[in-house]
Amino acid sequence: MTKMFSPIHGAREGLMNLAATLGQMGIVASQISRRLFRLDFDREELLRNLYKMGVKSVPIVLLTALFTGATMVVQAAPIVQRYGATQLLGWGAGFGILREVGPILTALMISGRVGANNTAELGTMTVTEQIDALRALAIDPIAFLIVPRFVAIVLTLFLSTLYADAVALVGAAYAGQALVGVDPITFYNGLTSDFMGIADVTNGLVKSAIFGIAIGLASCTFGTKVTGGAPGVGRAVNATVVASAAGIFVVDYFVSFILT
Amino acid sequence: MSATPNASAETTSPLPENGGLSASIGRTVFEGLDGAREIYGVFVRTLYYLARARTDRDAVIRQMYEIGNRSVFLLTVVIGFIGMIFVLQAGLQMQRVIPDLSMLGASFMELLVRELAPTIVALMLATRVGAGIAAEIGSMVVTEQIDALRMCAADPIDYLVKPRFIACLIMTTILTLWSGGVSVASGIVTAEVIFQVTPRTFWNLSLVHASDVVTGLTKCVAYGAAIPIVSSHCGLSTFGGSEGVGSATTRAVVQSSLAVIVLNFFISSAAFIAFK
Repeated sequence: MTKMFSPIHGAREGLMNLAATLGQMGIVASQISRRLFRLDFDREELLRNLYKMGVKSVPIVLLTALFTGATMVVQAAPIVQRYGATQLLGWGAGFGILREVGPILTALMISGRVGANNTAELGTMTVTEQIDALRALAIDPIAFLIVPRFVAIVLTLFLSTLYADAVALVGAAYAGQALVGVDPITFYNGLTSDFMGIADVTNGLVKSAIFGIAIGLASCTFGTKVTGGAPGVGRAVNATVVASAAGIFVVDYFVSFILT
Repeated sequence: MSATPNASAETTSPLPENGGLSASIGRTVFEGLDGAREIYGVFVRTLYYLARARTDRDAVIRQMYEIGNRSVFLLTVVIGFIGMIFVLQAGLQMQRVIPDLSMLGASFMELLVRELAPTIVALMLATRVGAGIAAEIGSMVVTEQIDALRMCAADPIDYLVKPRFIACLIMTTILTLWSGGVSVASGIVTAEVIFQVTPRTFWNLSLVHASDVVTGLTKCVAYGAAIPIVSSHCGLSTFGGSEGVGSATTRAVVQSSLAVIVLNFFISSAAFIAFK
């Protein structure tokens, strides 16, 4: 509060920080992709991370998807009732879930649980100089630590979105029966009507892969750039979740616009 | 392999670690219930101190700055894009069913007031503010500042949680109003540029009823109360050094986002049934 508030100065500071962060992410991305093309990464570490990130996130993703699907029906119901077409409920809730809400909310939850955790772990290793120790042992920290985590995050988000979509649709179907009185059969028929196609599903999955790349890059970049002990780790975790959240929505718009 | 930190800071539970699927489900449920009871305890004690003890106004204002002003940029970016995404997707879908886009604005306003503005703002605050609160309180726990507070006969709930609770309650509402404005602006621009819907047609409040406003405001208050309580609880239950702070932060983000999603479902369906 003691700092003077000056919008121009703040905007300049913000833009410079943004540019620096994006540049760091670009460097990390090029380092990762170089090792990825040579298949030069630790496979055991990848499996361990897939278990820790993917399997352990199942309950949270399930819970989120179930409630999100149900909420989508509650929100779509008045609009559908207004046009007097209950067979459109499946369409109304379906395209929302498959195209936007399923991928976005799964990405937000995975970024909170996995991306933040990954930053905290890498950050702790950075401040306790374990990464320097790896380098001293002639182990490439990027191939050993960063690439497996990055790949694990992308795969986790993609696979989680797959089953989150399915669970959200089930939640939506039964919430529709309980609250709006639409038979689940009618709901599923609405999903397979002419208004929807495979494009709705693939659209969401392409998004989830891109969100995964954004979350993975943000998390690995902020994790390896931590300075200043334990409070620094906290700051890095905070920066990761904020950057991932903003990144998800910004990327989402452009992907929606391009894919339509 | 020794480089990997092995203490993943999982909570130790009295139940056996390997017991198949049903045991792991049971463990999750019991841990969830325990957590819920503790969070309820923090909430009740916050309310108690709110009613009984004097409130430190400076602390509240500091937290309002921390929670509110410093989230404005993130929220403006996110909610601006939400407005654009919603209008784009809804417009494309409506074109498939009814070629008339004159109700696009009205539906947008209705959903914005009832659902989008409060929930998206709360999800963003759950990540930004939730992580911030848990990291701050968590590092106070591991550096034993909380114990020092207790030594001075100051309850950390009164001294730390209450100002954050009040500040978050006020700022969630204010930020929701601001974000609503931003996303209407971005929605108007998108509708004009992509679908040639004039701002005059788009600005249509005919579908926004009093019940929608009440639902939206109820959500604001519920989220504004849930986020600081859940993430303060995660911060206060930190253990085990800087790694513990990291995992407390993660738990705060996940649990407060989950709280927002679950509350959203219950408030939305209650409103749907009540205002039918």
